[in-house]
Parts: sequence; structure tokens; C-alpha cells
Amino acid sequence: MIFALLLLANAAGWVPARWPSSDPRSLDLLKNTPVNCLLIEHAYWSGALNTRAKQLNVTPLALVRPGDDPAKALAAGFEGLVFEGEFDPAVVSRWKPVAVLSTRTQMGWNTPEPIAGTWQGLFPGIHVERDGAAKAAPTGAPWVDTNSGFLRFARALTEKPIWIANTPPPKTIYRVERYLQAICDAAISGARWVLAFDEDFWARLMRGESAAVRDWQRIVQLLAHFEKHPEWRNLSPAGQFAVVQDASSGALVSGGVLDMVAARHTPVRPVPSSKLTDERLRGAKLAVDIDPSILTEEQKQVLRRFTAAGGTLLSGPPGWKFPSAQAGSITLSKEDVDKLDAIWREMNAMTGRRNLGARLFNVAGMLSNLLVTADGQGRVLHLVNYSGYPVEDITVHFLGKFGKAILYTPEAEPTELKLFPVEEGTGVEIGQLVITGTVVIQP
Amino acid sequence: MTRREWLALAGAAAGIRGNAEGWIAPAPTAPVAIARCRSYNEDLAALLSRMFDQLGGLPRLVRNKTVTIKLNLTGSPALRFEGRPLGATHYTHPRTALAMAHLMGQAGARRIRFVESCWATAGPLEEYLLDSGWNVRSLANAAPGVEFENTNALGKGKRYVRFKVPGGGLIFPAYELNEAFDETDVLVSMAKLKNHSTCGVTLSLKNIFGITPASIYGDDAGVSEPNEHPTKGRVEVCHLGKRQPSKAAPGELDPGSSREPGYRMPRITAELAAARPIHIAFIDGVETVAGGEGPWIPGIRYVQPGVLILGLNPVAADAVATAVMGYNPRARRGEAPFVSCDNTLLLAEALGIGSADLTNIEICGLSVTEARFKF
Repeated sequence: MIFALLLLANAAGWVPARWPSSDPRSLDLLKNTPVNCLLIEHAYWSGALNTRAKQLNVTPLALVRPGDDPAKALAAGFEGLVFEGEFDPAVVSRWKPVAVLSTRTQMGWNTPEPIAGTWQGLFPGIHVERDGAAKAAPTGAPWVDTNSGFLRFARALTEKPIWIANTPPPKTIYRVERYLQAICDAAISGARWVLAFDEDFWARLMRGESAAVRDWQRIVQLLAHFEKHPEWRNLSPAGQFAVVQDASSGALVSGGVLDMVAARHTPVRPVPSSKLTDERLRGAKLAVDIDPSILTEEQKQVLRRFTAAGGTLLSGPPGWKFPSAQAGSITLSKEDVDKLDAIWREMNAMTGRRNLGARLFNVAGMLSNLLVTADGQGRVLHLVNYSGYPVEDITVHFLGKFGKAILYTPEAEPTELKLFPVEEGTGVEIGQLVITGTVVIQP
Repeated sequence: MTRREWLALAGAAAGIRGNAEGWIAPAPTAPVAIARCRSYNEDLAALLSRMFDQLGGLPRLVRNKTVTIKLNLTGSPALRFEGRPLGATHYTHPRTALAMAHLMGQAGARRIRFVESCWATAGPLEEYLLDSGWNVRSLANAAPGVEFENTNALGKGKRYVRFKVPGGGLIFPAYELNEAFDETDVLVSMAKLKNHSTCGVTLSLKNIFGITPASIYGDDAGVSEPNEHPTKGRVEVCHLGKRQPSKAAPGELDPGSSREPGYRMPRITAELAAARPIHIAFIDGVETVAGGEGPWIPGIRYVQPGVLILGLNPVAADAVATAVMGYNPRARRGEAPFVSCDNTLLLAEALGIGSADLTNIEICGLSVTEARFKF
């Protein structure tokens, strides 16, 4: 019992990776890295691997798929079980896995497992058209495929650690930047991506190829960057723009409203309809209620008080329903995206060029997330560069007066940024961003 | 072909100009300076200063004047080519703008106003520049009296000003432009050394195509009144002639004329340069792209010609630049780089703006042969 409780307490600090090897020597890669939790498939279950993992203070978890025998996993010395796929609730209840990696719609927000997880996710990065190129026109920013909208909603819905455990598509070889982006995409939303590499990279890593080892070191450096700041993971969103939605109104979809707002770097706070309270809207100036029909009378009262206090509310048109993704899909079809135009145009008009927490410049091909520091006084701005190239000369105009800003990046020591006054409050400039950077700004 | 057009092209071929009355005279010319510059980290102010000196000095041109600097920030700043900074590919490089502002201030310019009709927005130019990775604070402090104006709509101005095309025009008889162009004593066109998918090359003349406000000439311009919140480009009015500009501006002379972009765009460019003359033509070929004007053109490539070109006549400067790119500046339609368009330089020459004949142009600094970089 005590062991089980310890396991649960540790779960928040687990930095997980899928580990496709039963060779104990493979674990040498994990020495002096933040990776401290392995998900091991049936084919690689091995007492020797588990023993070695424990010697390295790494927690081995058995990845159990439907048809696998959890008893065998426990007999092999695993410290816990992770279920992946569809399981009978009675089976879950009996074996008490630490996580069930399910579809997004079946995620256990309020279940006893200490971790909320899903295997469904996009592989984050710049969206490439089928012909291998971006659309040829002098318009618009490149679209970023991201899980961050969904993860930010999930973060607003549960206090559990969140794992997104999507894997590279079969027969795909990625550059290391894509893995770095996957880590950041989850981390800036308070979640963790379960490391999972393509076969080619894994094989090269196991052979000790120098290029693969260098890439691994970059991955480790990035993980360490985020793990040095666990406090960032549970901070609240800082934006003055609230999006009220729930699973039934598109919150679990990638490429939905939250991602569209984020693509414009408008600081946004997701508010699950089921958790709509005055407190959740405190400080918000604008709100969008995607589907008023799902609100209870009490929740509608919250929105009435919001508007009575001067807030601006945009509601989905009467009878309008957020298009639902097709079964098994986590994205919308192009036709369904077009249907979002009804609400998207109005949201654009409503937000305009207003500073709703921070305005960012020169951030095409990037995503950001603005959070409030734990003391409520400062702001934490995460930036992720998906372009594959370093971005130079980023400018941020923070809303309000601040006195000190520090930039944290994986590659360098924290750097104090020069502040300068701007119309909306305080400006900072970031000289260069490779993959990610976080600005912590304080009064 | 109208008589006016025939005269324009016939006159251009002979290095002479024709007007509606049919008389001909030599097109004006001015010296052009070419300098080697391998990197934007070089001392651009010193380099440009030397080039201005080769042309007779800057103070005589700008002292106590309002200088308007038209940048080239074509297409959305969100579109990068190979992830490179915009200034290294298809945009004016911020360091060249900084050097230009510094020199203008040193030379006694009273006001230095950077302008551009920013892609699909009427928002402040300063914010567009920030989105392009520019340090606006540095630029604003580069000289006294630096200002910024997005000329895509009214901007900070109160009215549009009509600029008539001398001789009556080829496509439009006149243009309605942002007030900043009327408050201009000296107009500087800061261009990149680039190909253009429609016009063959885009240099100091073609850069002026972008002074038209999308509020009037944009795809979503109002039919009667300007749309002060444009969100689109100018393809339908200017490139294709699918619709007329807002009625605030005069419509086309001949709505029955060719709708082909290769016919329209060179003419619009040439007549804009005639209506709103360019006094200083600067062409940045340090780093740029070849094969098209921006990342939306398939097949473009990043190149480093390593040259700067400066002239006091845009046609002469563009002729030299075209030659530096490895082309014949007097090439006819069908010949590179004017494969599917009329030659803007010859049209501008015919309108009397300047000579595109290299034999009439004094070249300072590097020779064309020394500077040549095949595009």
C-alpha cells in the first residue's frame, strides 16, 4: 500500500519514454538524463532490464495492450502498469494501472489513475501540404500542426499529470527537430510527450552513431530545460480572452478554436464549460462561448455576470454546432474547418489588434503560451519555434508595467532581457530562438 | 495597340521617348554607382556614403527636405524562404534601411518617413516591421525626424491625394495615393535585386507598384468608397483588371484593353513612376532570391550577388541592375527576363522617366562586368 502511494506521488515527476529494447545495456543512455520512467511493451518485458532500470533510479512500467497479461508484467518486476487501448472498466479497476492511454474522448479526467493520458496526437510541426509544399501565395503564416490547444484544455480540466503518447507514423524518419518540437508542444501546455522515436533513429542510437548520439543529447538538454522548472507545468493561463468549450464543442480536437486563436498568438484561457465559474473568468475581458446550449442555468448566470461586469461575450450562433471530428479522428475535415468561419470571423473582429496579455511580433511558425506566475504578479511566456530554423529578433509587448525579465533557453544560461516602455506596458526583445525559450517577467 | 503605346515602345527601342503629341527627345539619365558588399555586417553607412559621394553627394539632395523612403516588404512577413530572415531573401534588409536613415539625417533631411503599403493590413507600419524582425526603436533613433506610415490606406493621413500620370496614362489616368506621397520632397525607392514572376525583374521601379493603397486598389476595396480595413492584395484591380478601383479613384482608360498581367503590371509600374517620380533608387543585391519575387513563387533560390546599386534615376539604376543580373535591359517581350511581359524599363523610358540604354549611363565604382551575377 505504501509502495503504491509512493508510486502515485512520484508520478508527477515521471519523465516517460517508450523503450523498445530488453537489453539492460541500452539503459546506459539514460545515465545523467531526466528520463526516469520507461514504458515497455510486452515483446521487451525482461527481469534483467527492470533490475538495471531500478539500479539507475528509473521506473519501469509495463505497457499492457488488450490481450496482454498484466499478471505476467507484475511478475517480471515492473513497478506499475500502463494500459494502452480500449479496456473494460472492470479490468482497469482490478489492475489499477498508473495510466490508461486511450483515445482523447475516453481519457480519464476523474478516474483513480494518477496520470491522464492518450495515445492520440498529431506529430507537431509545420503543416506540409500533400504536394510537399506550403500553399503558394503571398499570404498568411504557415500552419503549425499542434496538440497544444487540446492539451491546454486538458490542463484546465484536470490537475493530474498529462501524458500525450503519440508515436511517429510508421515508415517515417524525422529530423531531431521534430522530436524537440513534440517535447515543447506538450511542455508549454503543462503536459509531457512520452518519448517515442522512429525505427531509424532508434537503431542508429542503439548502434551509438555519433549523429544520433548528438541528437539524443539535444533531446536530453531540452528535457532538462523543462524539468528544471516543474513550477511552470501547473501555472494558470494569463490571457484576457476566455474560450468556453467542452469535449462536445470541439475542445478535444486539434486545429480547433484554441489552436486557431493560438496561431495568432492571442493569449487565451481555456475554460471547460463544466468548470465555468466566476473565478475562471476573473480578469478576462472577452469570452467566447462556443456552444451555449450545453451550459446549465448556473453556468449561464456566470456569463451574465461576466457581461454585466463589462466583459464582452461572443456566443456561437443559435443552432450552430461545432463540427465533430469523424470517429477515430482528432482533426477536422477542410469542410468542417470552413464551417468554423461563422464564429472565427467574429472572434477576429473582437480581438483585433488588442493586447490581451501580450502581443508578439516576428513569430510566424511559432506558438506561444502566456501564463501567470504562482504569485499572480508576473507572467511566464513560453515560445516554441516549429520552423526548423533559428528565429531572430522577436519582440513582445507585455500588457502592464514590469521591472525585470529573464529569458530561459535550453542552450544557454538564463539571460536578463532589457525592458523598454511601450504603449501597452512593457516591451522586450529576444535576439534569437532556436527551439524554445521562456520569458519570465516580474514587476 | 494604341498610338500612345506604339509610340512608347517604338521610342523606347531607340532610346528616345514619345508623348501623345508624337515629339521625341532623349530620355534623361544619371550616373549609377555599383559597390561590392558581401555582408550586411559590413559598414553599410560608410559604403552608402561613398556611393552617394560618387553620385555628387547626398546633402544637396535632401537638406531640409522631407524624404520618403519606400521599402520593399512584399507579401506577408509570416512567409519565409528556407527559414531565412526576410531581409536576406525578398524584403528590404533592416540594416540597409538603418544606414539610409542615418545618412539622410546626417545630410540634413528634415523628416525621414518610411512607407510601405503593408500586405493585407492597414495596421501601423511599425508593427509590420516588428513582425518582419526589424528593430523599430533603433530605426526610429537612427536620425532625427524618423516617421513611419502604412500607405495601404489613409494611415495617419487625413486624405488621399490624386497623382496624374503625365501624358494621360497607359492604364489609369491618375492614382489616388496616401497623403505621405504628396508631402514628399525626395522619394527613395529601396528595392531588392530580384526576378519577378510576371515582370521579369523587380527593382526600384517595380517597388513603386506597392505605393497603391489596397483600400482603393485592393481586392476588397470598397466599390464607392475606400475600405480603410483592407485584408487582401491588389490582384483583381491591378494585376488582372477583373474589377475597377474604388470610385474615389479614376477608373481605367480602356476597360477593353488586355487583362494579361504581363501587359498591365509593367504599364502600371511605369506610369506610377511617372506620376510620383523617384529621386533616389537603391537596389540591394547583397543577399536576395533569384527566380521570383518571394517564397510563394515555386523554384526560387537564395543567392548572394554581393552588390549594392545606387542611382539618381530609377530607369538608369534598374537598367544597370538588370545588366548586373545578366540580362539585356533593353530585351523585348519574349526575351529573358521579360519572357511573358512587356519591359517595364522601356515603358518607363518611353514615358520620359529615364534611359535604359547602358551606353547613356555613367557607371561609378564597379563595372557591370565586375559586378555581374547571373540570375
